[in-house]
Amino acid sequence: MSAASRAGVAPALLMALLSACSAHTAGPVQITLQRFFGACDAQYAGSTNVAAAQGECGIITTLVNRFNAQNPDVHVKVNIVYWPGYDQLSAGLAAGDPPDLVTLHQSVISDYSQRHLIVPLDAGLRAVGVEPASFTPAARRGVMRGGHIFALPFDTWAPLWHINLRLFRTAGLVANGVLVLPHSADELLAQARQFVRATGKPYLVQSMVNEPSAYARNLFTLLMQQNSDFFADARHITLQTPEARRALELFARIYAEGLTTKHQDYTAATAGFLSGQGGVYIVGTWMIDTYDDAAAHPGSPLSGGYTVVPFPQLYPGRDVTYADGHSWAVPTKQRTPAELRAVFRLLRFLTDNDFEWSRTGHLPAFQAVIDSARWRALPHRAALAKLVDIAAPLPTGVQRQFLLQQIISEEMQAAITGQKPIDAALADAEHRVNDLLFNLL
Amino acid sequence: MAAPLLWTLLLSLKPNDELLRGTQTAFSAPYTLRNYLDILGHSAVFGWLLNSAIVALSVTAGVLALSSLAGYGFARLRFPGRDALFILVLFGLAIPEQSVIMARHQMFSALHLHNSYAGLILPGLAAPFGVFLMTQYFRAMPRELEEAAWLDGASRFKTFWRILLPLSLPAQATLGIFTFLSTWNDYWWPLISATNSERYTLTVGIASSQMNFAQTNGLGFLMAQAVFASLPILIVYVIFQRYLVAAVSRAAA
Repeated sequence: MSAASRAGVAPALLMALLSACSAHTAGPVQITLQRFFGACDAQYAGSTNVAAAQGECGIITTLVNRFNAQNPDVHVKVNIVYWPGYDQLSAGLAAGDPPDLVTLHQSVISDYSQRHLIVPLDAGLRAVGVEPASFTPAARRGVMRGGHIFALPFDTWAPLWHINLRLFRTAGLVANGVLVLPHSADELLAQARQFVRATGKPYLVQSMVNEPSAYARNLFTLLMQQNSDFFADARHITLQTPEARRALELFARIYAEGLTTKHQDYTAATAGFLSGQGGVYIVGTWMIDTYDDAAAHPGSPLSGGYTVVPFPQLYPGRDVTYADGHSWAVPTKQRTPAELRAVFRLLRFLTDNDFEWSRTGHLPAFQAVIDSARWRALPHRAALAKLVDIAAPLPTGVQRQFLLQQIISEEMQAAITGQKPIDAALADAEHRVNDLLFNLL
Repeated sequence: MAAPLLWTLLLSLKPNDELLRGTQTAFSAPYTLRNYLDILGHSAVFGWLLNSAIVALSVTAGVLALSSLAGYGFARLRFPGRDALFILVLFGLAIPEQSVIMARHQMFSALHLHNSYAGLILPGLAAPFGVFLMTQYFRAMPRELEEAAWLDGASRFKTFWRILLPLSLPAQATLGIFTFLSTWNDYWWPLISATNSERYTLTVGIASSQMNFAQTNGLGFLMAQAVFASLPILIVYVIFQRYLVAAVSRAAA
């Protein structure tokens, strides 16, 4: 979209909103919300008690229920889709019948914004009192494209280091009550070896089989930490670099020396950490509550011994972690002013309830929530607050990030497990990703 | 052969948080019906079940009717271009759905057929395998049967309806069972055609109700969904078991 046309859309949107204020409608305005996060009607159908709800599904279900109860002139119809739901979104867009509001990962916003399939929200959000300045830096980076807000950020999530403190203590990696974490790749290897010698268990628990993204996320983090400019432009990745080689060599060494669990998929690794199979599990924010619950149960291998921290800085470049987040986008289609007003009223409601959503473990998208005492009082959150400053997505404009992560993960798995030389894997990953991006329309 | 089914059933009776610690917990108490109650507690599930039944039965009936008529035509009638047309139908056997799905989606968009029963049923009616199967079956029938009917004054349609169609019931059973099963289990087309949850079929609906990482955090629920979704198929299997076995044998032959 050109700057001129964007500039034209914003006032038009505002005008529509303002004119809608005086519009009269006979019955409730219906808008359609498409989301993933599953269905949990059996527990939460009809419940508006958001504070009592648990988990992504419970919280979002009760939030929408409450919105419907508080806004009798609007009815939000929910279409739940199988994660991530982009096939259905694309099908709806192709058929000219998309939902009014849809959950988007911030990493896929460019796929839709560059084709004008979602609308900029700047003017509409401002009209309901939601200022982009209130977003956290990470959330702002996640939803802004070309200077415009293309989605309302809902959260930020990043790969974290979930730690079994009991095993860390056994390994001597808790000194004077302070966790000993690596500050370099060499320290990581040394501490992992110390851990294995002391506990007889691997330092890392990793999902390594049928894993579509974890490898790539780790690589992105380590490349960013080395200030590698691996996406100089949004259509070309550069992976045949010393920085990428260093990152792969580190994980290959960890694998070769038996410092990690092996042959586990996501489910096995998640259960493995829960049952005390290793010291560190690198996985996202969404597992915090599950592991914290386990730590509260006597008899659990994590009992009284679980904590979670951001990905440590292993290279001297900068302290940074690859991140993504959930957001709410408005697909392009004709809407009445009343429908538009309902959409933005719902977005305002979701903004106001970002704290409730942050109880899922994801980081809030709004700085006021991050700064609030009640959020920091939630388990482990204070230690994770710095993520909103250090979390970084891939450069804006990079498309097909899910597929791109899958390609890189396949090649990294081959290199780390010794099926392919590291240089060959990096060359293949670079070629395959660039081939994918080159052929985009 | 029964082991995967029993394993699925066993896991479906376990609490999700127990299974999160490992599937070895499946062999010890506690057991629960919570996962099934969670499925039945979803108000939309019976609507999805009804949608699946309507679509699967309609497609099955339509395929049987159209394939029988087309098969009879190709096998018994002489008309210009018959062989070329039959070859064209056979080409349909070699074209995977993936290669036509986008064009079909656009066509149905233009006709405003998405999110409707017609949109879910119509694509299934184009069944080259059914036409091929019925053509071969009718060709194998002795012509004397028809000639005897004609001598008795029966019209061509009456001959088809009263003589040949009843004799083709074994083939109809084969085709009907396979069509019903494949339509019931279809996921892709309903996924992109029925984007409104009120038109979800059971396969799409139960997939949509899974939380993220359901295979990890909701394994029991996932297995209960598998059991629930396969129940109608099991019922069909039990009722038509004799025909199904015969159908597989005939298809193999």
